[in-house]
Amino acid sequence: MTLSADLTAQYASELRGFGASLPDDFARGIEGVSPSLDEVQLERWARAGVELANSSLRSWEAAAEYFRASPAVARELTFDQLLQWVDLATELSGRSSLMSAAFLKGTPEALDHLGSDDLDAWSRQGDRLCRGNWKSIALSALYFQVSPRLLESLPLDSIGRLVDIVDQLTERSYELATTCLESAPPIFAALAPADRAPFLAFARAVTRASWADTRLYFERGPRLLESIAPGQRAAFLDLASRVTMSVGRQGFPLFADSAQAIADMPEDDHEALIAFASRLAPGSPAAAMEFLKSAPFIRSRLTPEQMEQWTEVGVDILVNEHNAEGAEAYFRLESTRAEDTLRALSARIELTSINTMLRMYAKALSGEQVSVQSTENLVDRNIGWVTESTATTEGTAIYLPPFVNTFPEQQANFQVYKVFTTHQTGRMEFGSFGYRFAEGGAHTPVTVTEREVRRREAKALEAAQQASDGRNGGSERDAADVATAMQRYFNCFADRTLIGGLFTVVEDTRVDACVAQEYGGIRRWLKRLQEYEADQRPAVHTMALRQAFVENLLRASLGRPDTIRWPASLNSFLEQGLGALKVVEQRGASVQDSAEVAASLYDLAVSIPNVVHNLPEEDWVAPAEDMISVAPSMPGGGEGEPQMMPNGEDLAFENPQQPEFRGDFKPELVQLLMKLKLQQDGKQQDGVNAPLTKEQLMELLENSAEITISEWAEGDLASSLGMFLSNLEKDAGTPAGEKQQGEGQDDQSSGTDGGTDEEELPMRIDYFYYDEWDFRAGDYRPRWTRVGERLSEEGDDDYYDETLRKNHGLVMETRRQFELMRPESFRKIRRLEDGHDIDLDQAIEFIVDKRAGVGPQARFYSRRNKIERDVAVAFLLDMSASTDEEIEKQRQKYDKDDDGDDFDGDPRKYFQWLAQRRAKQALEPPKRIIDLEKESAVLVVEALEAIGDSYGIFGFSGYGRDNVEFHVIKDLTEEYGPRVRKRIAKIEPIRSTRMGPAIRHTIHKLDEYDAKVKILILVSDGRPQDHGYGRDRTEKEYAVHDTKQALNEAKRNGITPFLITVDKEGHDYLKQMCDDIGYEVVDNIESLPRRLPTLYRHLAAE
Amino acid sequence: MTTAEQTSGFKQLQVEDFRITEEPYYLPIADEVELFETAYEQHVPVLLKGPTGSGKTRFVEHMSWRLHRHIGNVEAEGVPLITVACHEDLTASDLVGRYLLEGDDTRWIDGPISRAVKAGAICYLDEIVEARKDTTVLIHPLTDYRRLLPVEKRGELLEAADGFLLVMSYNPGYQSALKDLKHSTRQRFIAIEFDYPPRDQEAEIIHVESGVDRDTAQELAKLAEKVRNLKEHGLAEGVSTRLLVYVGKLIAKGITPRRACQTGIVWALTDDVEVQRSIEEVVTSIFDE
Repeated sequence: MTLSADLTAQYASELRGFGASLPDDFARGIEGVSPSLDEVQLERWARAGVELANSSLRSWEAAAEYFRASPAVARELTFDQLLQWVDLATELSGRSSLMSAAFLKGTPEALDHLGSDDLDAWSRQGDRLCRGNWKSIALSALYFQVSPRLLESLPLDSIGRLVDIVDQLTERSYELATTCLESAPPIFAALAPADRAPFLAFARAVTRASWADTRLYFERGPRLLESIAPGQRAAFLDLASRVTMSVGRQGFPLFADSAQAIADMPEDDHEALIAFASRLAPGSPAAAMEFLKSAPFIRSRLTPEQMEQWTEVGVDILVNEHNAEGAEAYFRLESTRAEDTLRALSARIELTSINTMLRMYAKALSGEQVSVQSTENLVDRNIGWVTESTATTEGTAIYLPPFVNTFPEQQANFQVYKVFTTHQTGRMEFGSFGYRFAEGGAHTPVTVTEREVRRREAKALEAAQQASDGRNGGSERDAADVATAMQRYFNCFADRTLIGGLFTVVEDTRVDACVAQEYGGIRRWLKRLQEYEADQRPAVHTMALRQAFVENLLRASLGRPDTIRWPASLNSFLEQGLGALKVVEQRGASVQDSAEVAASLYDLAVSIPNVVHNLPEEDWVAPAEDMISVAPSMPGGGEGEPQMMPNGEDLAFENPQQPEFRGDFKPELVQLLMKLKLQQDGKQQDGVNAPLTKEQLMELLENSAEITISEWAEGDLASSLGMFLSNLEKDAGTPAGEKQQGEGQDDQSSGTDGGTDEEELPMRIDYFYYDEWDFRAGDYRPRWTRVGERLSEEGDDDYYDETLRKNHGLVMETRRQFELMRPESFRKIRRLEDGHDIDLDQAIEFIVDKRAGVGPQARFYSRRNKIERDVAVAFLLDMSASTDEEIEKQRQKYDKDDDGDDFDGDPRKYFQWLAQRRAKQALEPPKRIIDLEKESAVLVVEALEAIGDSYGIFGFSGYGRDNVEFHVIKDLTEEYGPRVRKRIAKIEPIRSTRMGPAIRHTIHKLDEYDAKVKILILVSDGRPQDHGYGRDRTEKEYAVHDTKQALNEAKRNGITPFLITVDKEGHDYLKQMCDDIGYEVVDNIESLPRRLPTLYRHLAAE
Repeated sequence: MTTAEQTSGFKQLQVEDFRITEEPYYLPIADEVELFETAYEQHVPVLLKGPTGSGKTRFVEHMSWRLHRHIGNVEAEGVPLITVACHEDLTASDLVGRYLLEGDDTRWIDGPISRAVKAGAICYLDEIVEARKDTTVLIHPLTDYRRLLPVEKRGELLEAADGFLLVMSYNPGYQSALKDLKHSTRQRFIAIEFDYPPRDQEAEIIHVESGVDRDTAQELAKLAEKVRNLKEHGLAEGVSTRLLVYVGKLIAKGITPRRACQTGIVWALTDDVEVQRSIEEVVTSIFDE
């Protein structure tokens, strides 16, 4: 005790010299350690502390920590070890007292996890981070601060690896290194023990590949990992490390993307996915990650077994074809093979793949100009249809869901589409929208007129009551004042929702029956789909009674009365209802019958209260077989036994959900649309209800049960109705067929209707999609490029004439040459007095006639004679920015040398010359490559007009794969005229040179044109080049290969391609690009206008 | 003129001697029979317009038989039918006649028109638009009040016998600027329009002609109706009754309806794969496996 006090007193003053609190720290320290140490040791301990404080300028800070930490440390260590510890600290303090202090401070906690032998290693790892500058010191101090916590989850040598990473980061950014180190403890604590080492290993790989991603990894990595199945995280990290080591900076983005993708997959699949990816990794690490990224998409279309088949194809590319790039593209889904395989395996059917076929099918069935579109389009039009998932029709077009994946077989899903289409077409074919008010059906008498009167009386009564209550009764409209017959029909009923639902059930029943009668082949699938739908119905016994009644009718209409459940006590209702429904299944039933049947069902339904019947489930029974027969007469309402009815509060009635294949049915809207259409076409239906007034429309829309109020913007009913109305009107004005085209679907849009009346219109761009050839993968990238075709802008008229004037001689010469060109096609002309061949028949006849002595005519020669030439040629001009270059430039160099001599002695002469030249240039700007292309175009036009070949002139440019611009200067079908001349004047350099898609689009245009000889002439100033047209900016291979492939495609399609370039270095890549395709490097650029027509003559004569 | 009759299974006879002795099946759709009979009596040439396989040729055959039976005069042994299929190399001498070499001599031989004119036959020029325009002009004098056929090479004029009638057929579906009838030709004929018969009648025709049962015939007629809806929207021509009869014949002999329709309708009608698929779907909708 005294010793401690002595020592405290002994050192107090010395220590106070370092810091005011130090003696206190000492005192507390010595008190803490004295139980563990003997006197000698205690003295050594104290001296060591003082020595530490003395060892360097600020080492007293370390000493303070020494004193504070000692009690705890002394309990863990032997005295010798304690001395070693302080030696370490002293050593550290020699480099930085701050670091040393942190070391000392962290020790007690670290010792919880470290053996005493590890202290040395632990301190050295911290020391390693210290480079003498304050940032590094702070970092190493941080190390000692956080590593005790890290030790809870990581062994020391792993921490060593983390230090490596941090150390590496310090070369780039201390800030980054600090953040990473700081965030490490919670990260590793949260990770499962088995995942910690792999996490670290991947961190190391990321740091090596792309140091900046390390922070991202530390920030986002743990969360990304969380979504992966716990047992698989280590494997995934291993995979990621291996991939990163090979792909470099793409490593982390690939990791992040694929982790997200895996998260989208069911957890049970993770193991297989990662295992498969690991299988790919040795052959192509990138492919492994691409596979993971694509997995959710593929899984959404394939079953696990199919997916396996799909992946095996990719493995085959990788392993057997040794094509890593190909496999990568395959797994990235950027190869035609990948898509084809997917399509072949997938049970899912996309509407786009069968759209045209279904359109013709629907047209055949209905005999109407039907178009088939995706439901997405209908919703966009905002005319009252809101669900995208169900099929429907608005009278002129059939809307189908964008894809079907109901059944596991492709064939079945296709049949689903067919049933969809047939049912929707059935509505048109069997007249669902042709309802006429008060017209009798084949099986039912008319009751609607009566109902209308009754309803009007009831309403009048209501209004009177309201008036007497002091409220303002709504003005009642006349029957003739309604917009459509359907509306008038619905007006006969108080509950429009109910009658709407019933009418839908009845009419769909009728249409299904008609379809089954008329189309024996589809019956089976219709039935299968009906059964499928019947099995999907919601439980009926929990529904309110009226609702359950309608639901049961619907089940019966699906041909599954066995699924009906209804309280036996109320059987008479059901019996009557089912009987009535049967009426419309009879042959000859029309929409009039449906309306009447729905009306009588309505009577039945309103007499059933919409309350929940608290019956146990087993008391809801299926109907007896004999209950289902055609009703002898229409049931009336209110005949049920009211005493049997359960009591309770009426719930709001909701119609049962429509079966998918039947889809939305909105007869009222359709009738309205049709009427609007007729009105806009100027055809009045029948004089009775002439033009629709706005009020009429508003009333219809407000009342219609086919549009629910919730679909309007809240509170602003009037204005949204108005907008809706204008949508409807707009819609009625556009024929259904055209809508599709405006959207530039695939290759179908014509785009050839040239420019006679487009003056005022904004530029129209038709988009086309083309594959691009990836030579590495050895496959096409499907729909990779988007070509926007547009009419070229028009310049002024003078350019063309000016060019003609300037090149008068050349123009005359080429014209003459062209006029001499031999025609390619001949027709045999008979009965000539002279010719190349003798026509034997005619010759015999001549001899016979001569013998017979009857007016012989010696016309027995025949000759092959020319008829119209049958050549179509497309000129494709490079409008890339590089064509902006002046061609004078090169020559100027030489000129200067020559001229330099001349003016050497006389500066005045030189300035004179210079002034002259400037004046000339101002008058006539220097020629650029594009100018020569333009001049050539003028000459070609002149020449071709002389021989009458069909020709088109197109320019191309653009930027990136989505934005390939295709300028039509003169289309193949277009007549030559002033607009073409103006467009030639406006040819301007724009941007890049993505040749492939431009060539493909030209092929497409030539394909559609009917000619015997087809030629494509591409005029360019250099190699193909574009953003993303190759692996990186400098790569040229890709572009060259794609262009070559496009040229080959041209040849395959019977087109003769020919390349002309003014690039003197052209020979090297052209040789590769053209193989056996003709090309020419025009050495003297200026000879292009002269050369082009000559070349054409050769090509067309071949 | 010798009529050679062989024993080995075939008959050889002069065109004008040929008579249709059994009634060719023809189901009248409207008043075309009556019209034709009147035209025949009144010596008014007839133009039969209509798509291929709609029964034009059958109608003429039927009328030939019918007129022979009912109003044919006994002396001329009724009304023979001489059919000429027109093609673009058909010359005037092909129609009127020509000299032939016989040893050192020549012999005149009548062409089909001359024979018809002489025999008082119905001369049926099938697909007249295919013939050269100068050939069609040849028939002009025959088609008006003159009823004369000039035989240029012999310097003769043939006056048509009483029973002679010129009938032409023409398919407006092929109409193009190149192959249209000249108005001067067109306006020498009354025109009877043919179209594919309504569903029920067509079913009856298919049933009778092919021997397929009535139900299947009805389905075929329905199919035809649907396929014809595609005319101008992918198909140049609708499916003809003739084709349906062929399909019916296949079905009657045991080929499954789907297969028969595929070969007889889908593949026969078009080479466009997309259209083929659409029609095939219509077929599978109507006929079950």
